[in-house]
Amino acid sequence: MYNNYGASYQEQRLQQMMEQKQLKDFMRMYSNLVSRCFDDCVSDFTSNTLGDKELTCVTRCTLKNMKLNERIGQRFAEENAKLMEDQAKMGR
Amino acid sequence: MFGGVFGGGSQKPVGQMAPGGMGGGMGQAQMDPNAQLAAAEQEMEMVTDMFARLGDLCYRKCLIQRYSDEELTKAESVCTDRCVAKYFQVNREVSEKLAKLSQTNQ
Repeated sequence: MYNNYGASYQEQRLQQMMEQKQLKDFMRMYSNLVSRCFDDCVSDFTSNTLGDKELTCVTRCTLKNMKLNERIGQRFAEENAKLMEDQAKMGR
Repeated sequence: MFGGVFGGGSQKPVGQMAPGGMGGGMGQAQMDPNAQLAAAEQEMEMVTDMFARLGDLCYRKCLIQRYSDEELTKAESVCTDRCVAKYFQVNREVSEKLAKLSQTNQ
């Protein structure tokens, strides 16, 4: 057996890895959102602060993109489950 | 979780993205736990990467009425659903073609 560290050590490492990935994922989502909303909402540089229109746009952009991500996540999970099923069938 | 995209146990090339893939699910019982962990990590990495790319693609193709309000419109929602489905379909097609190509080249 390879189990020289013990199962709990491996579990701990897996846990750690998952947490790191989640953090990285969140950071990626966040910076993506910022660039989308900046790109889509800000194009006027006659002032150094966001105008009312830009602010409204950023708010909507944030909420709408979160909804979009959620929807894509749902469909992604469904498609992925289908794929797994197909693969399980073919493995037999 | 998202095990499916890259071979949840089957060795058939269909549905796997990387040709000559990483053999995510096979023989895990005998595998070194460190290798197992590394494989799981790589698999997760690829799935999250694929998800991020999918998100970006469908945003570009489907968010047409940008921010006239904060709700997804009906058209945008439908587009998003189809976008994801078609993305998976394209994945399947490409991996099948690649698998065939690499078979005939051997």
